[in-house]
Amino acid sequence: MRVLIIDPDPARAALVAEGLAGVDPLEVRQAAVFVEAEAAAFRPDVIVVASESPDRDTLESLREASAANPRPVVMFVDRSEPGLAEEAVRAGVAAYVVDGLSTGRVRPILEVAMSRFQLMHQLRADLAKAKADLASRKSVERAKALLMKERGLDEEAAYRMLRKLSMDTGRPLGAVAADLLAFAGVLKGGEGS
Amino acid sequence: MTVTGELQLGFIPLVDAAPLIVAQAKGFFAGQGLTVALSREGSWATVRDKVAAGALDGAHMLSPMVFAASLGIGSETKAMIAPLALNRGGAAVTLSTRLAGEQPPGVQLARLARRRQEEGASPLTLAVVYPFSIHNYLLRTWLVRLGLDPDRDVRLTVAPPSRTADLLAEGVIEGFCAGAPWNAVAEAAGVGRTVVHVEEVLPDAPDKVFGVTEYWAAANPQVLAGLIRALDAAGRWCGAMENRAALADLLARPEHVGAPVPAIVQSLDEMAFGGAGLGRPRPEHALWILDQMARWGQAEAADPARAAARIYRPDLYDQAVGSR
Repeated sequence: MRVLIIDPDPARAALVAEGLAGVDPLEVRQAAVFVEAEAAAFRPDVIVVASESPDRDTLESLREASAANPRPVVMFVDRSEPGLAEEAVRAGVAAYVVDGLSTGRVRPILEVAMSRFQLMHQLRADLAKAKADLASRKSVERAKALLMKERGLDEEAAYRMLRKLSMDTGRPLGAVAADLLAFAGVLKGGEGS
Repeated sequence: MTVTGELQLGFIPLVDAAPLIVAQAKGFFAGQGLTVALSREGSWATVRDKVAAGALDGAHMLSPMVFAASLGIGSETKAMIAPLALNRGGAAVTLSTRLAGEQPPGVQLARLARRRQEEGASPLTLAVVYPFSIHNYLLRTWLVRLGLDPDRDVRLTVAPPSRTADLLAEGVIEGFCAGAPWNAVAEAAGVGRTVVHVEEVLPDAPDKVFGVTEYWAAANPQVLAGLIRALDAAGRWCGAMENRAALADLLARPEHVGAPVPAIVQSLDEMAFGGAGLGRPRPEHALWILDQMARWGQAEAADPARAAARIYRPDLYDQAVGSR
């Protein structure tokens, strides 16, 4: 596990290292300020940033630009901010917060942050897939309607024809349907869409 | 007025936080019967989170940031409102000395960006202070005018304003767009030159606002009215020429902006506060911000007019200032 800590205070890095004792392999690196090139070379599994660090805006923008190898970011809230950690968690504001300086809590919080991050990633991927599935289903419906109209088939027969085309060509049903619609457009003198 | 305890207000070390700093130092909050503690924050993300979580009652905010929070872009959705505009002007683009040389400004930047592309080299890196900021929109609009695609021909990153001069000096970035005094600070350090100011590209663009959550505003109408009156009066104090020297000294202090007096004096010349109806949040500004968010692919509000009316609240300003 590689952990990058952005905090001018080395005591907090020591705390995180202590809290993660027993994790093997473990590499904890601390820096006063976030340097993108260094972080890219280190490839941390998780980044811990002090809540008062001006680098929070940079880290957040990197998280948004998910193309650039995103990493879960844990915000380190000091005891001098009473209530913020609890409030933030309750309000669902900052996704991940480390409160106070108890070493025992460090490891579970980092682990929760990483698994939540993975979950978010999975949810995004699932959403993209769901959108693609919906588009594919729409194509199939439209292709079926076209076959029913042009070939005088009933719905069941139109669907079987699409299934056969799909199996014969070894292409997904949605892709075959989209091809059919495109070719129909061309044959009718349209732009093929 | 029912004021229960001390109010916590946040600000980012920038010249346009002046109304908050002045309202505290010159007794405008006290004049409204308000007890305020100012909290100097390190990042806009922290300001947003603390206001959303109630650790701050209100704060100095980037106007587009209030919209991003309310629309749930880049964070959890939290309805925030802007019942007062704080300033206009101050945002500017500074380029590294080697790129700022030729006239008109930006020619050399465009040429180098193109050459890097042809050579397959890494694109030039430019920094803005926050994605949801007029600084981002200003830099992007200016790049488009230079014939560059802000998403393809250069690399845009986010950097803390206070570190922009160092990043420029180290060659990590080739330019940045930030608020005052950080352009003047980079110039004074001899690492860059300011090549374009916001009013040249986006005349009349709104800049910072005072922001609170919709929930807090509804729960504390009297306190909010007092805050608006105090900050509006402080804004007019900041705008008065006879106060400029005192204002620069006050802002320069380490617990406020923490920058040299000359850089702050220079910045104040490029900025407007209070007076001439500046404090009243204008609905057309809200629509313009939503338009910019859509233009740069950040967010599409389902009903922009409705979102604008819910977030920018001139009605609260009018109620507060009218009932003085």
